Amino acid sequence: MAEMTRRERIMAASRQQRADKLPFFHWWRHLQIGWAERECRNRGMGVSWARPSYTVEIHDVEITERPVISKEMKVIRRTYSTPVGSIYCDEKREPGYGEWHGFRSWKDVLPWQVERLIKKPEDYEVVKYIVEHTEYKPDYFPIEQAKNWLGEEGCVLDSHPHSPMQMLMIDWVGSEEGRFFIHYAKYRDLVEDLYQAISKSREPMYEIAAKSPADIVWCGDNIDGVLVNPRLFEKYFMPEYEKMAKIFHQHGKLFAVHMDGRVAVLKDLIAKTPIDIIEALHPPPMGDLPIGEALSLWQDKAIWVAFPGSVYLLGPEATKTHALSLLREVIPGERLGIAMSTENLVSNENLLMLTSVLEKAELPLTEEKINRIEKSLP
Amino acid sequence: MRKEEYLALLKESIVGLDFDTVKKVAREAMAVGIDPQVAIEEGMVPGMAIVGEKFERGEYFLSELVVAGEVMKEGLEVIKPYLKGEAMRRLGKVVIATVEGDLHEIGKNIVTTLLRVQGFEVLDLGVNVATDKIIRAVSEHQPDIVGMSALLTLTMAKMGEVIEALKASSLREKVKVIVGGTPLTVEFAERIGADHKAANALEGVKKCLEWVTTKERRK
Repeated sequence: MAEMTRRERIMAASRQQRADKLPFFHWWRHLQIGWAERECRNRGMGVSWARPSYTVEIHDVEITERPVISKEMKVIRRTYSTPVGSIYCDEKREPGYGEWHGFRSWKDVLPWQVERLIKKPEDYEVVKYIVEHTEYKPDYFPIEQAKNWLGEEGCVLDSHPHSPMQMLMIDWVGSEEGRFFIHYAKYRDLVEDLYQAISKSREPMYEIAAKSPADIVWCGDNIDGVLVNPRLFEKYFMPEYEKMAKIFHQHGKLFAVHMDGRVAVLKDLIAKTPIDIIEALHPPPMGDLPIGEALSLWQDKAIWVAFPGSVYLLGPEATKTHALSLLREVIPGERLGIAMSTENLVSNENLLMLTSVLEKAELPLTEEKINRIEKSLP
Repeated sequence: MRKEEYLALLKESIVGLDFDTVKKVAREAMAVGIDPQVAIEEGMVPGMAIVGEKFERGEYFLSELVVAGEVMKEGLEVIKPYLKGEAMRRLGKVVIATVEGDLHEIGKNIVTTLLRVQGFEVLDLGVNVATDKIIRAVSEHQPDIVGMSALLTLTMAKMGEVIEALKASSLREKVKVIVGGTPLTVEFAERIGADHKAANALEGVKKCLEWVTTKERRK
């Protein structure tokens, strides 16, 4: 087999075709631009880059921001004023916000929402107004630009926000002090009405993505089975994924969902979804579903495994041991990609060590090949 | 209605996650002169215990655990004015916090709820709690156990900082330290000098129970 490019490897594994080597890649926003990153990329590490295919316009809503003190912290208060009322949220932004990428701080942490947009039942109507006055318009420039820049170095994903119920759970109502669950128990009609409104408002966004130049549409849904229990997943997440996948598949796109939490409790339901790529799966020690079991259970899906940050903390030697063990667990290594990290920055030493293991991972993997890799390592 | 029926209804309203019934029955029970302490300990607490068991069996999820806790809280609000300074049975005292720099609280809150169900007095310091605040709380409240949570690999190191500060304040030998959170490993917990790394909320609570019951037996 002729040597594949990094992009071809990622796409082959994602389409469940045979790649020449196990694809491994770094997320663009974690890429520590410099000598180690250059060396690792020269040795086969690809890049995955998420960019949107749309712009968002919110009509008839005034949005203002100002610094305030909330809960003894300096925060930015964003107020949304609509004809049906005003709501606000407070964000704590760490140093580096707005100066680097993806609204991340220098340490790669998103702003903390100290106060959520939805605090009381009356707020649902205001958020619904905002949702219903949100317009998505196609803008393929960011994806075309990234594809042009990246070439065969990796792949560009069409980036989508949290799915409708996850917007409520994670972004707008929040889970602090169990708030979402309490709202869901007390104000079920309001929650479901807003969920339906978000789902409907997203339909144009899905159509735009289906025609985007990206091969993969990615929903950054942060699924964790502790928060999203099977009942919620089945009732509110699966129907939305089905709606999305139907549109994307009609246009030949692959559909990826970011599932970076403990998903063992959802494993049978995930198997029933039309998702093509389970992205950011964290096997133990951070997650609770072993990669071997996931591959066996989700035979019609590719998995992009995220290398665990807690192993990196133990240093390059632990990184090596864990990486070799991972390779042995996934033999023959098909339908698989390895993300160097999806949540954390990686030290140069760890990045180099993981590259040393993965650069020689020719497919199909065998015990003998892995033994040879192990012997070749520093 | 007989006293037992009120108690059964209080229990059922918590297991059934029924906000309206718990408040209605609590009001009626107080009106007919049921001892508030009995209403709590023989009605509500057994209800929460059943919720805890259902959670352990995978029949209930975090959502039900949280809502049951809230139902009990609203029921207690009705009963509290009738309490005459009686203290509920306490098994041990725990100071718990998500360490500085980390605003994740789901795991901590599950543990807090389960500890309270078991009869622990829990002082929940919240999220993003500075090391010196934890030390002050330990010094002031003299708990049996200190629990710390972190979800970010960036913030895990703060747990070691707290343990070092406990040592520096001569408090380390007076408490057990339990740590938890998705990115944590047993090796990390050992390295920073924690007494235990909770595999999950239920296992962590069992370890706390083991510690305090062993201590009781030693008395």
